[in-house]
Amino acid sequence: MPSATGDTGAEQPMRAWKFLDPGRIAPFGGHVWSAPSTSGPGAWVEPAGGVFACRLEDLPWWIRPELWEVELAGPVRMLPTQVAAARGRLLRRVLAWDEAVLRAYGMACAERARDRAVHAFLREDRQGEGDALRRTRSMLELYRTAQGMATDARTPSSNAVGYFAACALRAAQGEGAAAALHAADAVSVATGDPDAFARERQWQAAWIAGRCALSAEPVAVV
Amino acid sequence: MSVARPQELACKQLVELLTDFLDGALDESTRTRVEQHLVWCPGCTEYLRQFRATIGVTRKLAEEDLPERVKENLLDAFRHWRHGS
Repeated sequence: MPSATGDTGAEQPMRAWKFLDPGRIAPFGGHVWSAPSTSGPGAWVEPAGGVFACRLEDLPWWIRPELWEVELAGPVRMLPTQVAAARGRLLRRVLAWDEAVLRAYGMACAERARDRAVHAFLREDRQGEGDALRRTRSMLELYRTAQGMATDARTPSSNAVGYFAACALRAAQGEGAAAALHAADAVSVATGDPDAFARERQWQAAWIAGRCALSAEPVAVV
Repeated sequence: MSVARPQELACKQLVELLTDFLDGALDESTRTRVEQHLVWCPGCTEYLRQFRATIGVTRKLAEEDLPERVKENLLDAFRHWRHGS
């Protein structure tokens, strides 16, 4: 098992996941990745700054419209929220990841955050506010309800409702990446637990992996 | 691996870092924070798109493409800017 960060020293190829913009375009570098074909993987990409990809737990940080399984080669470095390698190539597109699933992801994150908020309000004997959040039946309704509470910053759960409002709005807009980030922030603030943010991100990564049937760990290519 | 919340970049900070980001002059940690911000912030994503489009357009301009009056206005603006007025 490689260390969480640092150079693994591994020269052997490794599988990971890579989010791209439509048309296999690198979101920040702008280059187009070569598509795999029936005869094999796409051509190797070897940008000057290296190739960056995701382990499963990194996925929520790098959401884009297309998700691909990639093969990385050269020395691989494990960074806090991604993996870096000298070169990479596309193996297959994860077809299960599409616009509908991205929207569902944002909604799932928002609903989970809403449930956490309800519990936080109930712990503070604020039944009315908890019930108001629990009764919401749509993201826009959740947004309006949370926004209405956001001006009252008496307790940690009150402080969190601004994040809940943002989370619900972005989920309603189909902005799954933003909804997920705000959801993790909201739960972290509402619970006051310093580990809550990381736990929410892990849950979000597991949601994506489960919905898209991704294997648990990037594995060395045999 | 679980990752604690990285320090948040505000949109205003990202705007200040954008030139270095496009020049590839940021250290890895700062570049990662910029990219993570861009993943979820549509406003900054649009700003970056416009910034890149502007660079693309101006790169095609030659000095002789500018009307004399525009050139004078620009030079005048730069002169005043350099004098801090």
